[in-house]
Amino acid sequence: MNYLIQLTATGIAIGAIYGLIAMAFALVYKSTGLINFAQGEVAMMVAYLTWAFAGQFGSGLIGVAVFTIVAGMVLGLVIERLLIRPMMGEPIFSIVLVTIGLAVILRSLVLLIWDASPHPMGIEAASELIRIGNLNMRAGQVFVIGLMGALLVASWAFFRYSRYGIAMRAVADDDRTALLMGVNTARVQAVAWAASSTIAGMAGVCFAALYDISPDIYSIGLKAFPAAILGGLDAVLGSAFGGIIVGLIENMTGGYMSSTIKEISGFVLIVGVLMIRPSGLFGQREIERV
Amino acid sequence: MTTDQHHSVTGGAVKSTAVLDDSENLLSIRNLKVVYNSSIEAVRDVSLSVSAGKIVALLGANGAGKSTILKGVSGVLFTEDGEIENGSINFRGENISELMPDLIVGRGLVQVPEGRRLFAPLTVHENLVMGGHLVGSKVLAERLEFVFELFPRLKEKASHISGYLSGGEQQMVAVGRALMSDPKLLCLDEPSLGLAPQIIDEIFKVLRKLRDENGASILLVEQNAHRALEIADYAYIMENGRVVMDGAADALANNRDVKEFYLGLGEASEGKSMRDVKHYKRRKRWLS
Repeated sequence: MNYLIQLTATGIAIGAIYGLIAMAFALVYKSTGLINFAQGEVAMMVAYLTWAFAGQFGSGLIGVAVFTIVAGMVLGLVIERLLIRPMMGEPIFSIVLVTIGLAVILRSLVLLIWDASPHPMGIEAASELIRIGNLNMRAGQVFVIGLMGALLVASWAFFRYSRYGIAMRAVADDDRTALLMGVNTARVQAVAWAASSTIAGMAGVCFAALYDISPDIYSIGLKAFPAAILGGLDAVLGSAFGGIIVGLIENMTGGYMSSTIKEISGFVLIVGVLMIRPSGLFGQREIERV
Repeated sequence: MTTDQHHSVTGGAVKSTAVLDDSENLLSIRNLKVVYNSSIEAVRDVSLSVSAGKIVALLGANGAGKSTILKGVSGVLFTEDGEIENGSINFRGENISELMPDLIVGRGLVQVPEGRRLFAPLTVHENLVMGGHLVGSKVLAERLEFVFELFPRLKEKASHISGYLSGGEQQMVAVGRALMSDPKLLCLDEPSLGLAPQIIDEIFKVLRKLRDENGASILLVEQNAHRALEIADYAYIMENGRVVMDGAADALANNRDVKEFYLGLGEASEGKSMRDVKHYKRRKRWLS
């Protein structure tokens, strides 16, 4: 029983990281209709930048947090301005290919600037042990669960109540009509990219703080993408839950079966779910009036 | 021969000078030429104007270029590879043909797009809030009150998902949404499209009320010439990308050709013979 609880808790923790990146996928998809295949790489890049920052200026938690947010925002805005906006009006397929190109570029950049071997992130606070009852968690794991919870509530409230959030949903639904309502759609999309990269960057830093920083962090994007599909690519909150589900299943199969099954378990689940609900668990189905 | 004379009374040669002199025009379009994909001419040499407190109708068949003009006025041609190649669009004394759509809305020119185009997954209330995207929260609350007064049914349905409303209710949301920013000029693209006659009555009654009680200025694009001429003060008729006729709405409604070809009534429609059609075609060539 204790083992099950332990697996559940750590599963939720890794799932929270997937969930954050899945939210990042959904944010960009929702407001621009694009899938950013470089989402994992963006997370990795922000993690590396933050690692470099921490090495230079010390790993005070507040400093690291502020730098992560700034780096994520700037990276998102730069990508949007340099690569995405000039492609506006081109076929979606071409723009998605641009993000695949970006993924390769970011991966090589990391290898060029830094190196291929893993390094400790140097944030000791993240690996401190916390005992809750007879459950052992690392502080970083507890933090990332809390972070995702907070972002879930914040983005729910943002999309539900704030006028900018409503405008984002409107742009997602019909950007041409949003233009007619006086929405600067280009700016809305830039904000979505910035927010998405920031959230992905937070996930990347948390992951690196828990499991060291290395050039294969980008692979959390590969786990998070199916999570986003599972939750419904256009549902920011649903994607986050998708991440938790994938994390849990991975941990359970890894704990009770074998680690090879662990790697594919999430994908098997997704294939199953999508055959029953093609738009994901929480995805928006086309509104049709009869 | 008699019809040709009649035509020149309601529009024809008189229009260009009469309209140009009018400096009180809220909107005046001069010699507008719009081209799609750098090759397809959708609108050529169109001049029209809307003066404050009036309903001006822009009539014509499908594909005549009416919607293109509205898109040009709202600055959204670029989303369809369209471009204003020539001419100017003056709104309240400023050329707006180069402005981005959000700035045009900010200047007070708002459009109700064809087919309503509500944000289907959003609630009625959220759709209305979107219409007031550029106004402060105090004005937003006032306008919301105003729209709910105009369409009491929307207040009941405020929290409903707009995509599930009936067509008539959706059109009310679309008009209400455009009114949220307190526009100086309201442009409507085919508000009667696909609606039941009573609903059209209701919508047009609101437009009339907006003009008579609130002094609203309205540019109404319609295929339904009969309905539009009933409430309009002035009207333009378009064909193949050009304005072929214009004049006061009541004069146009009594014009023999308009009756025959746009309203489908009058003595002419009864004895519709090939001779009349030939006459029309000849005249059309002459007009263009």
